[in-house]
Amino acid sequence: MTSTPPERTRLSARCADATLRSVSSARQQQRLVGAVALLALLLVIALLLASSAGATNASWRAAMSGDVTARAILLGIRLPRALLAALVGATLAVAGVTFQTLLRNPLADPFILGVSGGAACGASIATAAGLARLPGVVPLIAFAGACGATGAVFLLARRREYTDPTRLLLSGLVLNAFFSAVILISFGVSRQSDLTAALRWMMGTLFGATWSDVILLTILLVIAIATLASIGNDLRMFSFGEDDAKSRGVNVERVKLIGFITASIVTGAAVSVSGIIGFVGLLVPHLIRMMWRRDFRFLLPLCALGGAILVVLADLLSRTVVTSSELPIGAFTAVLGVPFFLSLLRRNR
Amino acid sequence: MLELRDVSFGYESTEAVDRITASFGATQLIALTGPNGSGKSTLLKLIARVLAPHAGEIAFDGKRLRDWPAKEYAKQVAYLPQDPDPAFSMRAIDVVVSGRAPFLGRFAWERDSDYDEAAQALALCDVSHLRDRYLDEMSGGERKRVFLARVLAARPRLILLDEPLASLDISHVQQFSALLRDIVNRTGVTVLYATPDLNWAAPARAGHRCGGTGQTQQAFEHRGSCAQNQGRWDDR
Repeated sequence: MTSTPPERTRLSARCADATLRSVSSARQQQRLVGAVALLALLLVIALLLASSAGATNASWRAAMSGDVTARAILLGIRLPRALLAALVGATLAVAGVTFQTLLRNPLADPFILGVSGGAACGASIATAAGLARLPGVVPLIAFAGACGATGAVFLLARRREYTDPTRLLLSGLVLNAFFSAVILISFGVSRQSDLTAALRWMMGTLFGATWSDVILLTILLVIAIATLASIGNDLRMFSFGEDDAKSRGVNVERVKLIGFITASIVTGAAVSVSGIIGFVGLLVPHLIRMMWRRDFRFLLPLCALGGAILVVLADLLSRTVVTSSELPIGAFTAVLGVPFFLSLLRRNR
Repeated sequence: MLELRDVSFGYESTEAVDRITASFGATQLIALTGPNGSGKSTLLKLIARVLAPHAGEIAFDGKRLRDWPAKEYAKQVAYLPQDPDPAFSMRAIDVVVSGRAPFLGRFAWERDSDYDEAAQALALCDVSHLRDRYLDEMSGGERKRVFLARVLAARPRLILLDEPLASLDISHVQQFSALLRDIVNRTGVTVLYATPDLNWAAPARAGHRCGGTGQTQQAFEHRGSCAQNQGRWDDR
C-alpha cells in the first residue's frame, strides 16, 4: 500500500475542519450576547445618570426614601424623558441600518427618504395655521406628514413592480428640497409667538416627554424590531446586490417593501415626538460596524442599544451644559458621536 | 437537467434573448460566448430566476422554473453576478458562508456544518488562506476565487457565472479556467459561464472532454431574427 490509508485521510480531514472552525456558529452567538450585555449595561448606566442629573437636585436615593418632590421629578419628568431619548435613539439607529442595508448605500439615513422632511413640513404648516397652541396636534400632523412623504417617495420610485434604490434616494432628496421650501414659507407666514416652539422642534427636543409617548413608541419599536428581525436573513442577502439576492430565493420586492415601510413608520413616530435629531441614524450603524460585525443580525440589536445610549447622553448634555436654557440635542449627538467615529475611522485603517 | 424551449426576453423595446432552445446535462463546463449586448447575461439571469422569460419555458429536472419553490431552486442552481461588490467589505468566510443562505430558516443562524461547507468550498478554490481576510484586502483574482467558493458552498448542481474571466490577465484566465475544469471534474457540477471571447472559451471545450462523461455538443443559436444584433450563441 503506497497511498494513504483511508482512515488517516478522514482523520486529517476532520482535524482540518476543527481548526477551520475557529469561526463557529456558537462563537458568533456568544459574541452577540456579550456585545448586547455590554451595551445594555452601558444604557442602564446612561439612564441612571440622565435621570439623576438636572437643574433641580433630586436623587434616586431621596425618591426611594419617600421624598415626594424628588419622586415627582424623577418619575414624572426625568425618567420618561430619558426613556424617550433612548427609544428615539434606538428607532433612528435601527431605521438607519435598515436603509443602509436595503439601499446598499453607506450614506443612507432615516431622513434621506424624506421622512423627517415630511414630518417637519407637516409640523411647520400646522404652526403657520396656528394649530401649535392646541396640545398634541403638531406631533399628529408631523406623523401624517412623515407617512405621506414615505408613500410619495415609494410611488415615485416604483416602476413596473420594481422599486429602484437609486430612484428612491433621488425622490427622497428632491422631496426633501421641496419640503425645505414649504417649511421656509410656512415660517414666513407664522406668528412670532408660535415660531419659538416650531424652531425648537426643528432642532430636536424631548422637553415635555410623557409616559404615554414612552409606551406608544415602545410598542411601535418592538413591533418594528420583530418585523425587521423576521426579514433579517433576507436583508443580509442584499449585500451582494438585488440580483444575487433574487437568485438565492429571496423575494426582493417584498423584503424591500416591508423594510422601508417598517423603518419609515417607526421613524415618523419618533420624529413626531422628538423633532429632528440628526447624525444618529447615519453614525451609529457605522460605529457598530467598526466595533463589531457587519452582519445584519448583529447590527439590528446593537444599533438599537447604541443609538439609545448616544441620544440619552446627548439629551443629558443638552439640558445640563447651560442651566438657563436647553440646547438642541442634534448638536450633542454630533458632538459626542463625531470624535468617537473619527477615532475609530483612524484606527480601522 | 436544464431545458430551454423558445425562451425570449426583452428590455423596453429590444429583444435581448430571442427564442433560445437548448438543453444541458450533468458534469459539463459550457462557455456561453457572443459579443457584448448579445444577451448572455440576460440568459443567465433567466436561468437563475432573476428575470422571468416573456415567452417560452425553462425547466429544471423536468419541472418548470416557476413551479419550483424559490429556496429549493436556489439550492440546485447558484448564480454569480458579474461584479458582486458588497457595500460594506466582508471577510472571505462570511462571504462564502452566505452562500448557504437557501438552507437557513427565517431566524436561524448558520450551523457548524454550514461553516464546514464554506471551509471546504474555500479549500476547493485554493483560497483557504484568505479565510479571515476582508474582500477589499484581496487582489481581483483572489476575490473571484472567493466568490466562486461562495457559489460552491451551497453544493448546487448547476452554477451560472456571468463573465468570471473579465478583468483577469491572461495567466489568471488560464489558472481560473483550469480551476473551473478541476471543479467540474471533482464535483460533477455543471458550470455555464458567459464570456465574450472565444479564445477564453477554448479551455472550456477541453474541460468538456476532460469530464469524460460523453455529453453531446450543445449548439444553440438564435433562431429567427434578433432585434438588436445578429449575435450568435455557441458553445465552442
